[in-house]
Amino acid sequence: MKYTKELVSTLIIILITFLLAAVLIIVAKYDPGMALQSFFYGIFGSLHGFAEIMVRATPLILAGLGVSVAFSTGFFNIGAEGQLYMGAIAITFVGVFLPPMPPMLHIAVAILAGFLLGGIWAVIPGFLKAKYGVSEIITTIMFNYIAINIVGVLVRTVLKNTESALPYSPVMPKSLSFPLLLYPTRLHGGLILALACAVLIYIIMKKTTIGYELRVVGFNKRAGTCSGISVYKNIVLASLISGGLAGLAGVSEIAGVHHRLLEGISPGYGYIAIIVALMGRNHPVGVIISAIGLSALQVGANSMQRQAGIPTSITSVLMGVIVLLALGKNIMFSGILKKMRIK
Amino acid sequence: MPNLQLKDIFKEFPGVIANDNVSLTVEKGEIHALLGENGAGKTTLMNILYGIYTKDVGTIIWKDEEVSFKSPRDAIESGIGMVHQHFMLVPTLSVAQNITLGIKDKGYPFNNRKKVVKDITELSKKYGLQVDPTQLISKLSVGARQRVEILKSLYRNAELLILDEPTAVLTPQETDNFFEILKKLKKEGHSVIIITHRIPEVIKITDKVTILKDGKNVATVKTSETNENELSNYMIGRSLKTFSSREEVIESEDNGLVLEHVGLNKKLKTLTDISFQVKKGEIFGIAGVDGNGQKELAEVIAGIRKPDSGTILIAGKNMNRASFKTRKKAGLAYITDDRHHEGLVLDMNVTENMILKDYDQEPFSKKSIINYNVVREKTEQRIKDYDIKTPGVKTPIRLLSGGNQQKVIIARELAVGPSVVLACQPTRGLDIGATEFVRQILINKRNEGLSILLISADLEEIVSICDRIAVIFEGRIVGIVKNGADLDLNKIGLMMAGHIGETVNS
Repeated sequence: MKYTKELVSTLIIILITFLLAAVLIIVAKYDPGMALQSFFYGIFGSLHGFAEIMVRATPLILAGLGVSVAFSTGFFNIGAEGQLYMGAIAITFVGVFLPPMPPMLHIAVAILAGFLLGGIWAVIPGFLKAKYGVSEIITTIMFNYIAINIVGVLVRTVLKNTESALPYSPVMPKSLSFPLLLYPTRLHGGLILALACAVLIYIIMKKTTIGYELRVVGFNKRAGTCSGISVYKNIVLASLISGGLAGLAGVSEIAGVHHRLLEGISPGYGYIAIIVALMGRNHPVGVIISAIGLSALQVGANSMQRQAGIPTSITSVLMGVIVLLALGKNIMFSGILKKMRIK
Repeated sequence: MPNLQLKDIFKEFPGVIANDNVSLTVEKGEIHALLGENGAGKTTLMNILYGIYTKDVGTIIWKDEEVSFKSPRDAIESGIGMVHQHFMLVPTLSVAQNITLGIKDKGYPFNNRKKVVKDITELSKKYGLQVDPTQLISKLSVGARQRVEILKSLYRNAELLILDEPTAVLTPQETDNFFEILKKLKKEGHSVIIITHRIPEVIKITDKVTILKDGKNVATVKTSETNENELSNYMIGRSLKTFSSREEVIESEDNGLVLEHVGLNKKLKTLTDISFQVKKGEIFGIAGVDGNGQKELAEVIAGIRKPDSGTILIAGKNMNRASFKTRKKAGLAYITDDRHHEGLVLDMNVTENMILKDYDQEPFSKKSIINYNVVREKTEQRIKDYDIKTPGVKTPIRLLSGGNQQKVIIARELAVGPSVVLACQPTRGLDIGATEFVRQILINKRNEGLSILLISADLEEIVSICDRIAVIFEGRIVGIVKNGADLDLNKIGLMMAGHIGETVNS
């Protein structure tokens, strides 16, 4: 029953999104038939399309998991973007400054460093919230700007590739690259890392006392306090896990896609991750599904731009609409669901 | 000709029929009780009359005219006033300012304050509602605040007053005083509707009673032609249970819980020099008007707040610096007065709530991994033992009734074998059946030799099950008396109002 309701409201959202897309495309005087065809060709038409969806979904899953852990604990981490960049900085430092290591060890060190630096970037707002009640929404957003601009400074100074005039870091050693999974596409080992993290987060949140405490604090801080559960400890812990996962998204982007640090490596993954967590209902499986869905939307839109010349900004509009619909669906669709006798 | 007539009022909320063709007739100059359990639909009916809710079906006739108030403002303008259970007063404003709040008299916004104060003084003299119009609300006692609420309605020329559970927060003396006011109102030709579930009060003060049950009319009777037993039968289908004081006394000199000179927040004097001992096999009651430090006392004992001074011993161990979890391990069970915010996580299910205090203890979890099979088995067992009515173990706890939610809390707290029970307002908001269940469990646990501290603003509850009674006033214990046949309620009432009483320790 519960799932039918979810399914029907998801279908309604998809329907509204498509209708709106059609209206936008027609108003902009493009051919909707052509648009639809190129949209689906981009997604289902080739192996490359599939791989591209997964490549984009990888950082979304990692950062989305991070955001979902924070949301479950009542910590509204809007800073996944900045934490992602901190993770990217961490792996670059490991590649540039640490001595050569065996491949497995090297990547493990990079993953750990990325998790920690991303985590620290979220723990500072987490600490400020837990200790002084400072709004984490403001601090995490501000930390995004700081992190993004730190990258700008680093690629021009400490981490700059001295052999080039461009603001890039040197290329990472081979031992810091994820293996390709589906040659010749770009699909890389980061996906496996992301899926493993999803399993791990599922187990932590649903099966352990750690996750139980986090969820109690997320639902009802006062009841937590009255049961001897430390709100302070759990908010700090949630922010650490949350930022760490977003940091891994940054590690994965460097090790799997860019292989060097440069500005703008994330096309807003950290922000889309918030949508991923919201639509995925803070559940690891939901996060995976919505991450893949949203990256398919983008890949389809890119294809639409290439083949039908329709600007991708339409997707940004659609994504905003999707968020509104997803957040308000229980209220907006209750009438429709009632008429359809679905409870 | 009746002053007010409600005919066949029907109101449905999603999933619940709150009022099922309810009718009510009130004459001019009549005190009419609306009697029923929590959830019987009394307050809903009055909220419909007062314009807070709209009825689905039915007619309201007020002074020979059919009316349908769209908001309380309409109702007030037509001469109907309502005093809610939780007073709607601004504590930082004066009595006169509160009474005239929202009224645009001649000269607005520059009202003639002197005239207002004079008018209020006259009004308060006429009805015996003693208040100083210039005093700030925050400085007033609960009884005085109620008088302000009534004055507020009278100042707006209310001919019909609706009072929701008016005596719930009053001391016995304040209640007597309140009854005098009601008689004066009646003499002046006002009609009064009292929403209540307290049968003795109904018998004492009202002219007529309408009983509601499950949203339906059960009966309307003249008070002079009925008795407590009949009303109880109408209301819950049987007679009220009386708790006999215990027969077999387990004499014990051991104390389960000891407080010595406990103080909290010296500046505000939230708690000052609190000392008492709760013996094994004893229910020790803390009586007092709400808001005199009861909540803080409970939290200091539970370890949620840390006292500034004094000593707390649980089962003989000093617990001054101990966390809640340490105190729980020492044998403390804590039943909070705020189920929804403190005792339960409403977004979690019955199973998850059942382990809220023990999730990190064996057998529920080992090495941080929760064993949900064991948790489910234990939950099912407790659901059976405590007769908790729930569709299943995975049902969200918010879908359970208040009584069953409280049973989940009690099962959770008591099933692990505590030696000290701290029960803070354990029956607040429960229906009569659940209330009796909770009281019986506390008595059973006492007979098993547990130390029970019962903090309650319901004096009737304290008197019916406690062995010794302490009265708290402004954060101080003003006296401790032994409960028994010779208990002087008058004295307890005086202590609740701050008069120092005696202290017995036997």
